[in-house]
Amino acid sequence: MRNLRFKISWGVFALFIFTNGVNAQSLNWSGYVRNYTGILLTEKNEYAIIQNTFNLNIEHSKDRTAFKINPYIYQYPNQDLEIGLREAFMDIYFDAVDLRIGKQQIIWGKADGVFITDIVSPKDLSEFLLRDFDEIRMGVTSLKANYYLGDNTFEFVWVPSFLSTKMPGESSIWFPQLEFPVQPTFDYSQNEVPAKLGNSEVFAKYSAITSNIDFEIMGGYMWDDDPTMHIAKTIDSLTSQLTELAVTPRYHRLGLAGGSFSTTLGGFVLRGEGAYYRGKYFNSEDPALADGTVKRDYLHYLIGADYTLRGVRLSSQFVQQAILNYDDYINNDEYENTVTLLLSKEFLRETLRFELFSYIGLNNSDALIRPKIIYNLVDGFELLLGANIFVGNAGRFGVYDKNDIGYTKIKYSF
Amino acid sequence: METTKIKIVLIAILIAVPTLIFSQTKITGLQIIENVYNRETGNDMQGDLTMSLINSRGAQRVREIKQFVKDFSGMEKKIMFFVSPADVRNTSFMNWSYDEVGKDDDQWIYLPALKKVKRISSDSKSDYFMGSDFTYDDLGDRHPTDDTHRLLREETLEGETCYVVESIPKDKEYMYSRSITWVIKDKWIGLKKEFYDEDEELLKILLVKKYEKINDYWTVLSSEMHNVQKDHTTKMELADVKLDTGISANKFTERMMKRGLK
Repeated sequence: MRNLRFKISWGVFALFIFTNGVNAQSLNWSGYVRNYTGILLTEKNEYAIIQNTFNLNIEHSKDRTAFKINPYIYQYPNQDLEIGLREAFMDIYFDAVDLRIGKQQIIWGKADGVFITDIVSPKDLSEFLLRDFDEIRMGVTSLKANYYLGDNTFEFVWVPSFLSTKMPGESSIWFPQLEFPVQPTFDYSQNEVPAKLGNSEVFAKYSAITSNIDFEIMGGYMWDDDPTMHIAKTIDSLTSQLTELAVTPRYHRLGLAGGSFSTTLGGFVLRGEGAYYRGKYFNSEDPALADGTVKRDYLHYLIGADYTLRGVRLSSQFVQQAILNYDDYINNDEYENTVTLLLSKEFLRETLRFELFSYIGLNNSDALIRPKIIYNLVDGFELLLGANIFVGNAGRFGVYDKNDIGYTKIKYSF
Repeated sequence: METTKIKIVLIAILIAVPTLIFSQTKITGLQIIENVYNRETGNDMQGDLTMSLINSRGAQRVREIKQFVKDFSGMEKKIMFFVSPADVRNTSFMNWSYDEVGKDDDQWIYLPALKKVKRISSDSKSDYFMGSDFTYDDLGDRHPTDDTHRLLREETLEGETCYVVESIPKDKEYMYSRSITWVIKDKWIGLKKEFYDEDEELLKILLVKKYEKINDYWTVLSSEMHNVQKDHTTKMELADVKLDTGISANKFTERMMKRGLK
């Protein structure tokens, strides 16, 4: 606690020195303060979350340079403050080239709420997929270089040090429950990717916007953001019973190539996105495998459409993941199909908005349904009332069937 | 000699009267609206747009936008950067509209929370812009051939002699059943416009409150749209207007949508 106080004091002092040194008048300050309170919709009505957030954006630009820092603080009752930097980068602008150096969120692709080619910034899954857009993607320390030729953009990203998906803590209601036939032992000795040049990630993208179509073509040599669970089994030779399981989480390299497009057809906006992943590890029940994993290529793609009908914005996407060279021992389905739906309508001169977003898993008939009502009491002051309803017993969403939540978010932007 | 003079006067009258009559009846409603549509506004323009939304109780909400417009061959490109309120700051919107009749605009929006540029459909031109009383179509240049125009009369308004033109949309599904525009003679500015709803009831009145000649171009600097049915109003004011400064074509790109006003 003393250490935390020291960090906060140092942070405030540094900010004071910094803002005075850079002429605070020319700094651009923005951000928000937010209270987020969620209640589990069970008989006990326990709190799922009580969170106070302070999010600050400090920006400055001069001639052909600029910087931005985005510190944030999450405060939870009876817990230490969670302090971090979502972004902290510098920009250098040349005539046809922009360079961005530092911690930054990099977002690619045309999909909404689905991560196919959007794989540069890893995800913060502390609250599964429920966090806001700007909070679910983590900043990565990287060098981004963009070269522009008219409406064409060539982008190159170098990530010197791998950052994995942030998973929920073991005490969290969002911690994924892994089922094993016997109590396993975990070996975390290989659960890190050493920070060295050879372990860098690189990504490249070509994109263009035209009057007919927008598109992106991308590729990457990266690490799988999620560790593979290598499982060593010990079987009693006399009884042939499984006696011991040793689980070793380990990260693996992945290569991928993909692209996306967006175009209009009549009143519709049609979107598509797809990627070919090379060398993904899947868990398998094949008894011939020593560590319970198998390496396969797979495809991940979607097609979607947006349309506005009498002021109601409608959007739907069909998403499929397909494992190539599939065998029946693999734990995952050969094809996993998901549909997303969005309905949104604004009232009272855009001060009141109703929105319904849902993921529907077709393989397990499960779903996540997210209705919300947002009211702008005055400009920059937002009241949100919403719910996250999980449907089903199995599947990506069904496993959280006991985690239905009703929540409010009150947000003051400045 | 006297006879000759009389002959000359008679000939002059014979030439002048039909010419005067012809000149007064020559201009049609379509020509007037075409003159408004084709009024020279410069090759590019930039300015600070302030939009005040006033409800029936007089409460006011303000939106501030920095906008840039430039003519290209066969098209016009516009980019808008939202400055306030705080929750929409750094949002940007780009529109490419085409001279080609029937070709829909292309539109993109950049939302800083999403950190990506999204193509959106321009089909919903009847949607209201940022909660104001202006629809997207009200803000754009509606092509004269989209309506049938009829010159109703001439009358003086705000000290200006105006043509009064009725315009009826050819598309029967259009959001307005008709509109009536008061166009200032010679300046070709629509000084006032009445919009009628599907039931032929008066819906909105647009009044131009201030216009000036900047760089030899008549430029509207202040206007007000009043929704008479809901009794709310939107004021639009354009300040710090600069014309023909040679805005770079690079301003109207995805790069700038993401970068913002830096």
